[in-house]
Parts: sequence; C-alpha cells; structure tokens
Amino acid sequence: MVGLRALLGAVAFFALGATAALCAEVPIPASPTQWVTDTAGFLSPQTVDQLNTRLRSYEKKTGHQVLVYVAPTTGQTPLEDWTVRAFKAWKVGRKGLDDGLVLFIFPSDRKLRIEVGYGLEATVPDATAARIIRDTITPEIRAGQPDRAVIAGVDGILGVIGGEAPQPAGSAGAGAQAEGSASEPLTAQDILVLLFAGLVILVLVVVTLRWAARLHTVFIGSGRGHSGGGGFWGGGFSGGGSSDGGFSGGGGFSGGGGASGSW
Amino acid sequence: MSRWLFVLGGLVVIVVIVVASVGGTYNRLVALDQAVQSQWAQVESVYQRRADLIPNLVETVKGAANFEKSTYVAVAEARAKVGQLNLGGGAPNDQAAFNKFAGAQDGLSSALSRLLVVVERYPDLKASQNFADLQAQLEGTENRIAVERMRYNQAAQAFNTARNSFPTVLIAGFFGNRFNEKAYFKSQPGAQNAPQVKM
Repeated sequence: MVGLRALLGAVAFFALGATAALCAEVPIPASPTQWVTDTAGFLSPQTVDQLNTRLRSYEKKTGHQVLVYVAPTTGQTPLEDWTVRAFKAWKVGRKGLDDGLVLFIFPSDRKLRIEVGYGLEATVPDATAARIIRDTITPEIRAGQPDRAVIAGVDGILGVIGGEAPQPAGSAGAGAQAEGSASEPLTAQDILVLLFAGLVILVLVVVTLRWAARLHTVFIGSGRGHSGGGGFWGGGFSGGGSSDGGFSGGGGFSGGGGASGSW
Repeated sequence: MSRWLFVLGGLVVIVVIVVASVGGTYNRLVALDQAVQSQWAQVESVYQRRADLIPNLVETVKGAANFEKSTYVAVAEARAKVGQLNLGGGAPNDQAAFNKFAGAQDGLSSALSRLLVVVERYPDLKASQNFADLQAQLEGTENRIAVERMRYNQAAQAFNTARNSFPTVLIAGFFGNRFNEKAYFKSQPGAQNAPQVKM
C-alpha cells in the first residue's frame, strides 16, 4: 500500500513538473481603475473627470471599452511593445469580441499610440487611427493644448466607432458616424436568460454529483465534499466589466493594430 | 487465493494509472499543439495582410515622378517570392520549410525598408494623403507581424517545454512525428529596424 502511495505521488510530481512557467517580462503597471488615467499631469483634472464620465457611459451604452492612459514614459521598452502588452494585461474589451481601444500618451517620450483591439480593427483601420493622431491630436499638442488634443482625439475615435449618445456641446464630430458598432451590449433580458441558463446548469451539476457520489462513495470520500453547497456561488458573474465603481477589463486583447505618432 | 486477487487488483490499478497518465499527457500535448497551430495561422494571416498591401504601394510609388525603378521592382520580386511559398499548416513542425518561409518574409521586409528609405527623397510623394495612409497601414502591419511572431514563439516555447520535459518526452516519442519540436522565429540581423518611418 505504501508502494502504491509512492507511485501515486511520483505520478503527481511528474504532472506538476511538466507545467513550466513562461519567461518573465518587464512589468506593466496594474490595470487602471478608471477609464481615463493620467499619471503624468498632462491633462487638467476637469478634463480627466469629463472624459472619464463620457467613456464610462459610452461603455455602458455600447459595450466598447475605450480608455485614455497617460504616463510619463515607457522606459526602455519600445512603445508598441509596451502598449500591446499593457492592453493584454488589462484585458481591455469584451472577451471574445476584443472590442476595446486605448489611447496611450507618453509626454516625456513625446509619443502616443492608439492601440486597437482585434475586434475593432475593421472599424478603426490603421490609416484611420493614424489620421486621428496626425490631423487631430498632434497639432493640438504642438499648439500647447493637451486637453483639447485629447478631447478631440476621443471625439474622433468615438465618432469612428459610433454609437455614442449625442454630446451636449463643444464636441463636434462625435456620433457623426453612428451605427458602426457590430455588436450590442447585454440587455436586462439577456442577463435574465443567462442567469436562468446558469441555474439550470448548476442544478444539473449538483444532481449529477449527488448521483455520482452515491455510486462511488468509496472514491469520493463519502459525500464529505458536499458540506459547502454555497461554495458554487463564489465569484460567479462578477467580472462583467461595467460595474459602476470603476473600470475593469472584460478579457479582450489586441494584436498590435492601430497607429503610433510623435510630436 | 486472496493474495492473488490482491496482486491482480494492484496490477489493474497500476495499468489504469499508467493509461490515464499517458492519456492526460497526450491530451495536453494535443492542446498545446493546437495553440501553436492557431498562432501560426495568425502569423500567416498578418504576413498575408502585408503581401496584400504591396501592389497598392508599388502602384503609388510608380505614380511619383521618376521614382527609382529598381527599388519597387525589388519589392515586387520579393513579394512574388513570398507568394510562391506553399506551406499549409505544417511549417512549425518542419524546420526547413519554416526557415524558407521566414527567409522569404525577411527578404520582403528588407526590400520594403529600402523602398521606404528611398521615399524620403520624394517629399511630394511622402506628403500625399494616399501614401500617408499606406504608410500607416504598412507600419501597423509590421507591428502586427512583430506581435504575432512573439506570440507564436511563446506558444512554441510552451509546447517545446512540455514536450521535452520528463517523462512527457518518452511519451511524445511513441507518436513519431506527431509531436515534433516546433521551430522558432529568430530575429534576423537588422530585422529590428524594419520599416520605421517618422510621421
């Protein structure tokens, strides 16, 4: 019996040993908790607030996660390398749809980039992103108007993706090309259906486990595992992405689409 | 009698464990292999995307007044060479085919970067909206190529690490060519400064 246990231990050991870790990479900052982040003091606080509110409601309305991220520098890392990894680490955009977009600005490097999720590449082609950078954003930054530059840039981006509610004032261009978005956000009805489906699956799983446990009491320590029935609910349905508190990534990623620029 | 039963039972348990562990290893290798294949498809598709941009690019620079013919002819030739590659999905498992693919693509990369250097001497062309858009597309595509190549290498590394660790390496051996080691992209000398044009 001791021999058998040792054998089991050895098998488990080999199974674990084979799962080798991938090489470590230069760290990317933790995911932002808001839609607009400025750690470089590039934008005025009012602009940050205003854009943040706007992008939050944009996500609520269309499901697209559009972020603005301003940090002093990417350090030694090349711009494009940094942004694609940050995009992936923060999981911008919905899982499976990859419909996120981030406007990155690095004032100390005098560089910026629009990084486009896989799912938006057809909606925001590289040439379009490059035009927004070249014709809208960089001229304003050069003219010493960072706030106007970023607001106009966001106008341009949301205008291209479409679906934004008309802005009250001061932002032309926004919503001009609406109806561009391919997918709609979850409605209350969808969520009910999902919840119901989840409940059915849960019941099926529990019933199956009970049944299996009855048949194989010997193998599954005599029903001991069932004591914590509530455990099934732990953490379910939380990572939806658009809770009111702040930004949280939906699970999307990008493949290097978009455009870069400098001033 | 009961001792024989005990031995027999023990043997059955051992056989079950061995079969389950071989099966699990096999399935894990299949999953990692599929990850490499799908990432390889991504690599091919971004390279295809670049190849699709070339005719338009060549037409645009041809239109510029006395643009140096040799540079765009070189690009068109490199593009034709890339077009002749016929790989299917087997390239990651075949070092020779893989090197041929990477070599042809790198040839196109360097022809393209030469062309973009020459364009610097034609301010009118460079300033045109059409060329600016093409250039943005080209840069975006080069960036996508870099990203997908890196992700391919990561997937290949995950596969190779699993495949070559003990005891998986013994099990992988049973299946002949099914689980060959995957080839990696290596950065060519000068490849890191592929088309990079200031805006």
